[in-house]
Amino acid sequence: MKKKMIFSEFFRNNGIVMGSLLFGLVSFWLIFLVILPQISMLDFSFRYNLPPAEQGGPKDVYTLSNYEHLLYGSDSTHQTYNTVDLMVFVRTIIAAMFVTVFNILLCYPMAYFLGQSRGSGFVRLLVVLLIIPYWINEILRAFALKIIFGDSGLLNEVLMFLHLTPQPIDFIRADIALYAGLGYAYILLMLFPMYNVIESLDRNQIEAARDMGASWIRIHRRIVIPHAKPGIASGSTMVFMLSAGALAAPQILGGPSSLWFTQLVYQWFNDSLNWQQGAAYAIVLLISTISIVLVMMKIFRVNMGDIGK
Amino acid sequence: MKSLNFARIALGAYLLIFFSYLLGPLVVMSMTAFNSASFPSVSPWACFTFEWYEVLWNDTAIRDGIYYSVIIGLGTVALSVSMGLAASIVLTQVWPRIRSTYYTLIIAPILVPGVVLGISTLVFWDRLGTFLGASDGSAVYSLFHNGIFLTILGQSAFIASYCMLVFVARLQRFDPGLTEAALDLGATHTQAFRKILLPFMRPAIASAAVLAFLASFENYNTTTFTIVKYKTLTTVLAQKVRLGINPSISSLAFIIILLTIFGALVFEAVARNKARKEQIKLGRTEEKKGGILPAFMQGNPAAFGFVLLSFIVIVMVGTAQKYDPSQCKIDVREAKKAEAAARMKELREQRLIQDQSDARQGPDIFGAPKTEPEAGQGSGTGAFGNVFDPGNLSDEKAPKSGTGAFGGVFDPTNLDETAPSE
Repeated sequence: MKKKMIFSEFFRNNGIVMGSLLFGLVSFWLIFLVILPQISMLDFSFRYNLPPAEQGGPKDVYTLSNYEHLLYGSDSTHQTYNTVDLMVFVRTIIAAMFVTVFNILLCYPMAYFLGQSRGSGFVRLLVVLLIIPYWINEILRAFALKIIFGDSGLLNEVLMFLHLTPQPIDFIRADIALYAGLGYAYILLMLFPMYNVIESLDRNQIEAARDMGASWIRIHRRIVIPHAKPGIASGSTMVFMLSAGALAAPQILGGPSSLWFTQLVYQWFNDSLNWQQGAAYAIVLLISTISIVLVMMKIFRVNMGDIGK
Repeated sequence: MKSLNFARIALGAYLLIFFSYLLGPLVVMSMTAFNSASFPSVSPWACFTFEWYEVLWNDTAIRDGIYYSVIIGLGTVALSVSMGLAASIVLTQVWPRIRSTYYTLIIAPILVPGVVLGISTLVFWDRLGTFLGASDGSAVYSLFHNGIFLTILGQSAFIASYCMLVFVARLQRFDPGLTEAALDLGATHTQAFRKILLPFMRPAIASAAVLAFLASFENYNTTTFTIVKYKTLTTVLAQKVRLGINPSISSLAFIIILLTIFGALVFEAVARNKARKEQIKLGRTEEKKGGILPAFMQGNPAAFGFVLLSFIVIVMVGTAQKYDPSQCKIDVREAKKAEAAARMKELREQRLIQDQSDARQGPDIFGAPKTEPEAGQGSGTGAFGNVFDPGNLSDEKAPKSGTGAFGGVFDPTNLDETAPSE
């Protein structure tokens, strides 16, 4: 009854043509591009990888085997854990968190500086300079870091020239290149939300606190950071989700012996052609990252509505 | 006062580190585009060259990739801008109680990893085809497995959210009274939308379209799953970067960086020019006349930068037509050869000393090998003496090590003639 009322009101407000156009576009987006694909992927992840002839046949039943594979590997007795894949998963999540924290620490002073010194031409120039790397392709940015961190890359040449190291350091194998690349790729998604909220902070509040003798740390802890919280939350969510789901940077900058979880998904899809297994891994990635974000938002008391501002 | 200075220095150092982290890699990458070394590097620097632009221009895979990227980009812009606009208008009217749920739903695609979106799109349309009974080879089947179709849908799923955010910001300043007035005066809903809301939203639509196109153009995670048989620029680049590379990719990156800087400068210059004209109109500032610079560059560093950069690019392209690094390349090759030869000589000397100590007890030591190191490269008496004519070999500085243990056995007298070959 209530729903009907909303709909009739909606069409009365927009007219039949515009109303159905708007409604049609939004429902096409949400149903056909977002909801149904996720549901079909979820459904798919509970099925066996069968040859086309047997699909829909008696063998096409639901199973947990794709998820069991992540836990136990190909061992059907469930005695040993699939340590390789589980380690990759844990490493991906922890490294993504590490990248997020690194970006917060690096961006906060910058956001504060840009946000509080408004108007001058110098700051305007800095903002334009910041936007430039944002429009460069993700692959090319990873490639740029590969040139620097490579075996005979610039960094190694410099270190050896300064005699800081006797032989080239393998940054790629040590995953330093990967972490630097992930931080580099998404740093602006952290900076700009922070910058936007800090810019809206009234300067007088800081002045007042300073006049009343608050220390430098206390001003930040009690005034700036609480005000900037939605921006920090929004930036952290973006950076965490994107780093955990990154594919290009690990493929280009990752060491030969260590994988990112998305690379496993990629392998199941493109190398093993086992879509069901890949879908199961993707579901695990999606659910675990989203629940981590939700838990973090609960802990830091941030609303979903703050994201994307 | 002292602490203030310290703070200033710390701030400067921080800015320096931040910007070198952000821009340094791009600068280094751009420099590698002009180094003739076949692996992208800045040191050791070989020759300044434009040859990688030619390599890039002749690379058909990249050209095809750009072509498909543009097609997909245009499709994504059309779809995601209209969906984003519809979603933002619905957001202003939706029933307050489901408003936050609705907002979560339309913002969620931004947070879903691109890999997941790509996979789910691929799986869903494949399953839908099976569900509809489309057989292999039918039109529906080939549409649902077409990389361009799938990529446009997969990318629009989250790019529409970006567009929606742009529109929501603009819609907040819209006065619904205007639409109501139009309706009261007898306009239909469609007319009101076209004549009132759409003109108001035009700047937002333009920026959302640019944003959507760029996001689509540089997307990798979703595209790599949904593209199936085709290749976009990003997937071509990813493949190239993963499998061994030459600096032609750097040259592409340099072109993109230049285009970005151009775009930023034009945008900034236009914005400043507009602001200045507004000021003049309001009578706050007077139009300055009689400067050295043309009017549109007055007090507008962005416009000045734009003109300067265009000039530099034109000069560079002009030089590229004439400039020929082949002499430098020959020099570098010679230098490399000399270096290799020097290393060879060193090795040979070491081996010689070893040989001598080995041969000291042997019968066939004629003294000649001892003089050879001084003679430079011509140390070659092969294991079979003059059979292979060592004199010729030594002219070519080819790698030939060692006085064989039997060097002089076959023709000991010849040694003295051939050894000082220089």
